[in-house]
Amino acid sequence: MTKSDSKVVKIITKKDLISFVDSLIKDNTHEIVGVKAKGERFVFGPLENARELRLDYDFTILPPKKYFLPQYENLMGFNLKKPFDVKENEEKESRIIIGVHPYDIIALDQTDKLYLDSQKDDFYKKRRENTIIIGVDVQKVSERSFAASMKTNITESGFDLMLTNLEGKYAITIGSEKGKQLLAKYAKTAAATELDIKKIKAVRKHIASQYTKKVKIDKKEWPSVLVANYDHPIWDKKSDECLECSSCTMVCPTCFCYDVKEEVSLNLKDGKRVRTWDGCLLQDFTKIGSGEVFRGDIKERYRHRFFRKGNYLPERYGFIACVGCGRCGTACLPDIADPCDVINELSHFERSDDTSRFFIKEKTEIKDKGIIHIPRVATLKRKEKLTSMEMLFEIELDDNKPLNHKPGQFVEVSIFGIGEAPISVSSAPSKSPSFEIVVRKVGNVTLKLFEMSVGDKLGIRGPFGNGFNVKNLEKKHILFTSGGLGIAPMRSLINHVLDKDNRKKFKDITILYGSKCPDDILFMDEIEEWKKVDDVQCELTVDQCAEGECWTGCTGLITTLFPRIRLDKYDSKNTIAVVIGPPVMYKFVIQCLLTLGIPEENIFVSLERRMKCGVGKCGHCQINGVYVCKEGPVFNYSQIKNLPEAFE
Amino acid sequence: MNNNVDINLEHVTRVEGHGNIVLNVRKSKIEKLQWQVSEAPRFFEAMLRGRDYSELRTITSRICGICSIGHSLTSLKATEDALDIKISEQTAMLRRLALNAENMQSHILHIGYLAAPDLFGVGSVFPLVGSKNQDALLKIVKLHRLSNEMSDLVCGRTTHPIRLIVGGFSAIPTVKQLSNLRQRLKDDLKTTKEVANVLNSVVGNFPDFERETEYIGLSSNEEYAFYDGVIASTDTGRHANNKDYKSLMDEYVVPHSTAKHAKHKRDSYMVGALARFNLNSKQLHPIAKEVAKLFKLKAINYNPFMNNIAQLVEFVHNIEDSMLLIDRLINEGVKEEKPVVFKLKAGRGIGVAEVPRGILVHDYTLDEKGKCVKANCVIPTNQNHANIQKDMEEMVPQIIDKPRKEIELNLEMLVRAYDPCISCSTHYLDVKFV
Amino acid sequence: MKPRVAFFDFSSCEGCQLQIANLEEEILDLIEIVDVVSFREVMKEHSDEYDIAIIEGSIMRPMDEKRLRKIRRNAKILVALGACATIGGINKIRNQWSAEEVKKEVYGDADIKDNEFFDAFQTKALNEVVPVDYYIHGCPINRDEFKQVITALALGKKPEIPNYPVCVECKKNENVCLFELGKFCLGPITRAGCNAICPTNGSPCDGCRGILKKPQIECVMDILEKYDLTYEEMKSRCTLYNTSSFNPKDGMTFVRRKSNE
Repeated sequence: MTKSDSKVVKIITKKDLISFVDSLIKDNTHEIVGVKAKGERFVFGPLENARELRLDYDFTILPPKKYFLPQYENLMGFNLKKPFDVKENEEKESRIIIGVHPYDIIALDQTDKLYLDSQKDDFYKKRRENTIIIGVDVQKVSERSFAASMKTNITESGFDLMLTNLEGKYAITIGSEKGKQLLAKYAKTAAATELDIKKIKAVRKHIASQYTKKVKIDKKEWPSVLVANYDHPIWDKKSDECLECSSCTMVCPTCFCYDVKEEVSLNLKDGKRVRTWDGCLLQDFTKIGSGEVFRGDIKERYRHRFFRKGNYLPERYGFIACVGCGRCGTACLPDIADPCDVINELSHFERSDDTSRFFIKEKTEIKDKGIIHIPRVATLKRKEKLTSMEMLFEIELDDNKPLNHKPGQFVEVSIFGIGEAPISVSSAPSKSPSFEIVVRKVGNVTLKLFEMSVGDKLGIRGPFGNGFNVKNLEKKHILFTSGGLGIAPMRSLINHVLDKDNRKKFKDITILYGSKCPDDILFMDEIEEWKKVDDVQCELTVDQCAEGECWTGCTGLITTLFPRIRLDKYDSKNTIAVVIGPPVMYKFVIQCLLTLGIPEENIFVSLERRMKCGVGKCGHCQINGVYVCKEGPVFNYSQIKNLPEAFE
Repeated sequence: MNNNVDINLEHVTRVEGHGNIVLNVRKSKIEKLQWQVSEAPRFFEAMLRGRDYSELRTITSRICGICSIGHSLTSLKATEDALDIKISEQTAMLRRLALNAENMQSHILHIGYLAAPDLFGVGSVFPLVGSKNQDALLKIVKLHRLSNEMSDLVCGRTTHPIRLIVGGFSAIPTVKQLSNLRQRLKDDLKTTKEVANVLNSVVGNFPDFERETEYIGLSSNEEYAFYDGVIASTDTGRHANNKDYKSLMDEYVVPHSTAKHAKHKRDSYMVGALARFNLNSKQLHPIAKEVAKLFKLKAINYNPFMNNIAQLVEFVHNIEDSMLLIDRLINEGVKEEKPVVFKLKAGRGIGVAEVPRGILVHDYTLDEKGKCVKANCVIPTNQNHANIQKDMEEMVPQIIDKPRKEIELNLEMLVRAYDPCISCSTHYLDVKFV
Repeated sequence: MKPRVAFFDFSSCEGCQLQIANLEEEILDLIEIVDVVSFREVMKEHSDEYDIAIIEGSIMRPMDEKRLRKIRRNAKILVALGACATIGGINKIRNQWSAEEVKKEVYGDADIKDNEFFDAFQTKALNEVVPVDYYIHGCPINRDEFKQVITALALGKKPEIPNYPVCVECKKNENVCLFELGKFCLGPITRAGCNAICPTNGSPCDGCRGILKKPQIECVMDILEKYDLTYEEMKSRCTLYNTSSFNPKDGMTFVRRKSNE
């Protein structure tokens, strides 16, 4: 017995179906939304009467995701004159969506896995709870859809009601209690017979045979095909035609990356934070405050989309994140976006068993912290100028609770009206309610921070990221290598390790620190204190020293410091190396570490990407299949070394 | 006795475009009095040269930001005339609605933001904020918003409309949107009357000046003419043929003006709201007539300052007219219509319409591929420049003994009363392309 | 202290300044957050002391260039308002012919020599004469974008404008793609920020907001064939607002990658 047999099925005449929908509309307790015509195409839109409903459609321009993750969504409103009068947007609408095809229902279930994970998105959650889904079996197959070969043309779950056209009447499969009650209240139905159940199966089989577009391999094989062909010339060839317009991601039911923007009214009082769809094909998708772009080449962005759908998300959640709806194929003007075409072409080539090659096997489960979007109020306690471009800020949470962070974690600092920026925590974990961050002024938020005064309010979200697992360092020698601003997060770990209550847990400590020039060196005073601690060696270098500048240390790149490490005392197999610095530094430093004999699994790095949501949803921070905000920013080198996008 | 006065008002404020007033008086005699148009010529006729028929209305729309709908519509009329395209009834009604909306938007902007400050004795509307007249200002803003949102609805965008295309519309409003608009129009009639009353209390601040001149505009048996009609003059009556507009509108170059001047039988003539009122006041809708009566405005009125009041009267008329149009549209049903299908052919087309500042003519000649080979336009403000000059010449001797500041103000107010669109008037000329 | 703002216009239709009047009630907010010291179109008062100059229109004559340079000296921040100022706009269409040719065509033998009113040269966008700090694109501008830029400047932050094609906004609006309807749209290479207003109203994008920094022109040209459109038409459409030469130093040329033209 198939699953659908265990669900109750009713029969309704076409006329009564129309009355049912009209009654729903008239009742006015929900917004009634359904598929209707727009020119020659179809869209989901508010229904004024049941005759507008077009259940015979092939596909809609946009999927129903727009009702759960709207194109533009107010996350919160704030009043700039009262800095912490922040109101989370209340989602009150309840809705009934009529005419959702099975593949779109499956896409919504997939979206649930991402948005309702341990760090739930409340807005999405409320909308899912407030929406009733009335699905409909496909009646007219779109030319570009390959849902049948993806087995997404039929679904047994995810709907409250499912309609199937049985020529002259409709079968309604009841999928939930809500659906059952809706029918009972508004519709005139009869029980389905065995014949009707057979007819449903026949109709579905017939429609499945209408699909002209087919993907040649089972979708379970997508990851192995993709991973084996990461460097295939197909990516160059196709991306050559790419308009970088991201139309493919906009119309995709399983694309849900977003950006968050600050909007302030002309009166400079009312403001809001707005979430809007973003696309990984766009040039600035990975751009950070300092202007650096991590996936700059269109080939990399083009390829990334296929891997995300066919390899990265499957590794993480177990489903292929493509439902074969055919929308991207239609929307793409140069016609390069269709996954069916790409997979079919690659299916002639090799496979690979190592499907988690671009993924980190160790997953960190993050506890549910509740509301993820609204910042907590904090006050600026102290400002200390470090260099011409860098400043230290001491921040205290107004609820007087400690941040409870691990070294290596970061926070998202909000200045309402200006924006939000991700900044590493620079102080060691402590019970005190205040913590420190070191900021370089590169953009709007950081510039504004510099202008703030002690006592001013700001918002803090987080801490985010995995941080260093300090237990890994116990009973080992530690070699810290910092370049430039990398010393700021490193300081959090160093101070924790050197703390008198912790020092004895670790063996010898070497701290290497490189800066551009003497003026750029941060924490000189603290470094002197570090040198005084037992068995701690500190070596500093600058890239260059201008004439007349007073500098008694080394000159040269940070790699020139390695010969100074007291190798006689060193047991490289028992040494943990931690590296934090500008992207260009890693390759060279890691080479030095490996030459010293430090095993790959003893090397930890902290990588920076564009962090926005901090909770693995907005999509901006990805290094291949890895979310830097969840699986990182601290990574074990042995795990990340094979990620092509890790070190550029 | 003012023996010597020198006034050099560069870039008169609160008018669209750049114009200067120069007055030199020596021993109480006028040595020089000039209304100079210094606006940079933009050579629009060069821009139309060789362009596709479908682009002409896009380009000519950019002649003016305030009357962009008017230019677009007149341009479309000329293009459709050249290609023998007959638009549908629905398109004609929607276009009338668009023209009404633009007229409203332009007039209320002029009356409220550009002219009224003079009546209230301030330099701009900004000082009215927080004053006892703030309420009047907010009502004017409300009417301005209504007009703009109406234009947005019908044309897709109030400045440089999008939906107006050759043969029809690229998108149309729904019945629901039109009936919502109708309700708003009805509600705002009340607001308009309130504004009229406020203006009536200060209308005496307009100079009491008159000069007999000729008035030219469109005239029609069916309605107070805006979209369609025959060119008419208060001197010579209805013209025989719109296509022969040149015999009526004689344009010529003037050295101190980058914009051309125009004349007919007299040295100058006037176009615009006052001209239309003088020709067609009997055809105004009832409430508009009431408002005219409130201000004691009767045809024929020779006071150019009353152009402002004529604009207010037209504003009311446009509201009433729009409500009637919407009623008809809803009654007959609003249908999705594709633009009229036609065949490309060579030809010449003339489009004439009344836009806020007066009668506008677009004259195009297309080749067999639909490219423009010859273009000419007669802009309303071009037709007013000579009249402004003549009015100044008549008015200055009457006020020559007043303090300098007052002479300046009066001259500025005179120019403003015409609601000139100086950017438009620079520069249109009969050009042959080879 | 409130920033002092002055509005100026050169050769334009003044439609972009009109959008500021079209802020309706929000104008009252505007004059609260900044000090409008000069705005010829709506006020009599004028001052030469301002922090932010907002300029509409293109530069056509030496006397205009002189006036612009003076404004640049007076202002700390210069904002180009609208296509005529940002990229030249419609005013650049006539640059296909020399200034002499055009003047002769238009004025014939009228005596305009040595008359500085008539002394026109090739149209220039503002950044071809002076450095421009911020651009508000469009013909006309999008009022929402104007508000965003002004509030950013009033808050002391750098305004951010989109660096992606109009297609993004068009798709979010769920429009039927105009290419599907047989029309040719410049959306794929034009900068977004207008909320795709023209395609949303059924009319193809004409590129009035200027080309992206790194547009994919060659890819669009490849698509033309597919939809039965001509390369000539594309070139012609890009001359409507001078879409292609946002950065005059880059000198955009349309060279096909495939050699089968």
